[in-house]
Amino acid sequence: MADTSRHILGTYDAAISALQNDLLMMASLCERNLRNSLGCLLNRDEDLCNVTIADDEEIDQLEKQVDKNGIDLLRRFQPVASDLRHVVAAMKLSGNLERIADQAVNIARKARKLNRAPLLTEVSFLEPIYREVTTMLSDVLHAYTEANIDLAIGIPARDKKLDAMNHEITEKLTVQMTKFPDRITEYLDLVFIARHLERAGDHVKNMAEDVVFAIAAEDIRHMGALRPGSAADLLGEKAVEPVPARIEEPPAA
Amino acid sequence: MERIQDIESASTVAPAAAFPLKASAPHAPAQRNAFEVTTLNVWYGQKHAVQDCTLNIPERTITAIIGPSGCGKSTFLRCLNRMHELVPRARIAGTIRFFGQDLYAPQIDPAVVRRRIGMVFQKSNPFPTMSIAENVTVGLRLNGIGNRAYLRERMEQSLRMAALWDEVKDDLGKPGVSLSGGQQQRLCIARAIATQPEVLLMDEPASALDPIATMKVEELIHQLSRDYTIVIVTHNMQQASRVSDKTAFFYLGRLIEYNDTEKLFTRPREKQTEDYISGRFG
Amino acid sequence: MISNPANHAMRKAVSRCISGITLLCACLVVAPLALVFFHLVRMGASSLNLDFFTHLPAGPGEPGGGMANAIIGTLILLGLACLIGVPTGVLGGVYLSEFGSPRVNWTVRFLCDILNGVPSIIWGIVINGLVVMHGIVICGRVIIPRGFSAYSGGLALACLMIPLVMRTTEEVLVLVPNGYREAALALGIARWKTTVHIVMKSAVRGILTGILLALARVAGETAPLLFTALGNSFWNNNLAKPIAALPLQIFQYANSAYANWHRQAWAGALVLVGFILALNVTVRFLTRGKPVRV
Repeated sequence: MADTSRHILGTYDAAISALQNDLLMMASLCERNLRNSLGCLLNRDEDLCNVTIADDEEIDQLEKQVDKNGIDLLRRFQPVASDLRHVVAAMKLSGNLERIADQAVNIARKARKLNRAPLLTEVSFLEPIYREVTTMLSDVLHAYTEANIDLAIGIPARDKKLDAMNHEITEKLTVQMTKFPDRITEYLDLVFIARHLERAGDHVKNMAEDVVFAIAAEDIRHMGALRPGSAADLLGEKAVEPVPARIEEPPAA
Repeated sequence: MERIQDIESASTVAPAAAFPLKASAPHAPAQRNAFEVTTLNVWYGQKHAVQDCTLNIPERTITAIIGPSGCGKSTFLRCLNRMHELVPRARIAGTIRFFGQDLYAPQIDPAVVRRRIGMVFQKSNPFPTMSIAENVTVGLRLNGIGNRAYLRERMEQSLRMAALWDEVKDDLGKPGVSLSGGQQQRLCIARAIATQPEVLLMDEPASALDPIATMKVEELIHQLSRDYTIVIVTHNMQQASRVSDKTAFFYLGRLIEYNDTEKLFTRPREKQTEDYISGRFG
Repeated sequence: MISNPANHAMRKAVSRCISGITLLCACLVVAPLALVFFHLVRMGASSLNLDFFTHLPAGPGEPGGGMANAIIGTLILLGLACLIGVPTGVLGGVYLSEFGSPRVNWTVRFLCDILNGVPSIIWGIVINGLVVMHGIVICGRVIIPRGFSAYSGGLALACLMIPLVMRTTEEVLVLVPNGYREAALALGIARWKTTVHIVMKSAVRGILTGILLALARVAGETAPLLFTALGNSFWNNNLAKPIAALPLQIFQYANSAYANWHRQAWAGALVLVGFILALNVTVRFLTRGKPVRV
């Protein structure tokens, strides 16, 4: 199978590998940052907050690198069909990953502030939404690397659930704010953190739409939630082969 | 404007029997098929050059035919205007219908077919003994049309349509071979459209030209597609994806995939197509 | 090791020596032509005057007279040869190049090359046996009457011309790129019109060259004319009768015993060579600069 996916131009394969590797590196850093951001809040770990904020720099650089690689590929090789879809998807995914990382930084900043205040038990309200967002991110990345369109199609619906969860948390926290007005600023911070998580979920939804386009050449944006079964409608013919998790460099000539 | 078929019947050239005079009705409701190819098989001696090819080419579209060398695309193109018959041991089976008429029916004269279906070749070949004006009108003159006013009018119209009039209108008496490569190819296109064909077949028309001349020819193809059905064989996939409405991919004599260009180049149905256009083999 | 003066000088000397030898050989090749021409001029120029070109031959031993009838006769014979030989040869060349099958064409070419090598006297004898003895009668109508005639002389020369013209025509037509034929046929132009208006027109200069070269070859043929045209001391009024020709007249005069006739033979030879030279120069002029096929 490796042979049929190799291009005649070795430099083409090398360029695609470089793009994929940068993107996947960015994805794992982003996942880690999101985990750390809430870890530092739930565990009241100030060092982790600082680490999260600092690591964002690397993700920003990788976003630039991915875009640069993508434009270079388009210029040099004029890709078509699945190559073209994957290049465009990679560039869009990197943008969304960078924004998710930014949300993680925002969460870490607010967590650092909250950690300096006395413990707030309502912090645990955020755990479900946080778990859902991290699972969604992990799922969309699996969908991309395994070309699993079912997994990707399910994500917009889960994002809607996330919006509902956010709404619910906001209401609960508002109630607490009226009960304990002296801790209003902290409750507000929690509301904002929930919103950051909801935003991250929106970005994951965007990523899922880009992944579906990369696999099936179908644009499912702005269509409302899709049932997982409609993957068959989208695919119709057989799908193209999945992107391996880590593409090896082609053996040196 | 008299069409060549009407003039033919008044000329000294014996009119070909049983080939309809007017192909397209002025207010045709739906888009018809210029060509309907059914299980076409072509042999050159023992070599089975085209195998079981079936496709329909709609009128007034640009269809690109792509594929690696030796895949039968030029052979297929030449069958559309019976030019393959010039090769000594060429044999054909299957049918090709041109606006509903069987091109290979026994009473059909190949010369008349070729007046209705023009062809432009890879290497531009304006006739060396003729001036620019004579080159453009040669298809009309040697088919019996002598009316000088008509010839002059058709020459100007063809040169305008080929985007060459402004460049040569003061030098019409110069030899055809004195033009640059790109201009020569546009001259050949003007020559082909002077006989008012309904279809233009182009066999890699820009492959011998520099990039700017290529772009001018592509722009010309785009303009011509309003009035002509165009079938273009090209080995340049970017050109195929820029220029054409539909694309056919041939491999080893077989038609692998035939689809709208946009679909074929973003999401081809066949893996072979995907591999070829992405440069994985070929 | 790289430059050894002694070796270098030696090599230069050898090189100059070889160049000198090749130059000498080239001169040796050209020398006979120069010799012939200058000798002819020396011997014959003095006899060239207006009378030579306008008067009939004088009687044996009589002074004066000219070769007017022989000059005109040669032109007439060449004209007849062209009339018969050029269409046949050119169309035959067209057939070999444009039509026919590989096997047939190979056979025709082979026979043509053999015919090219047939000695001219054989043609004289053959035409004599076929035409001069019996004439040409088709369906009861006499086309060429029997007996020595300008017709039979022209026919003999034509037979010499045809294989030559055929081969040169074929050669230049084959040089016309196939792209032109394809382009013309793709315009719906009939096959024969393509051949005439496109292919032959492109090669017209080469065809003309072939014809002129063939003419130059047959202009000086004497042997076939001996048995067909026979020669004539007077004007020819009837092409079915014998006709004078320059080579014949030269032959007759040179073999005679009269000094006057000898001088006139030299002049005639000069005129003949001059005519052939003029044909060749015309050919060179026509083919100057560009290759023959365009």
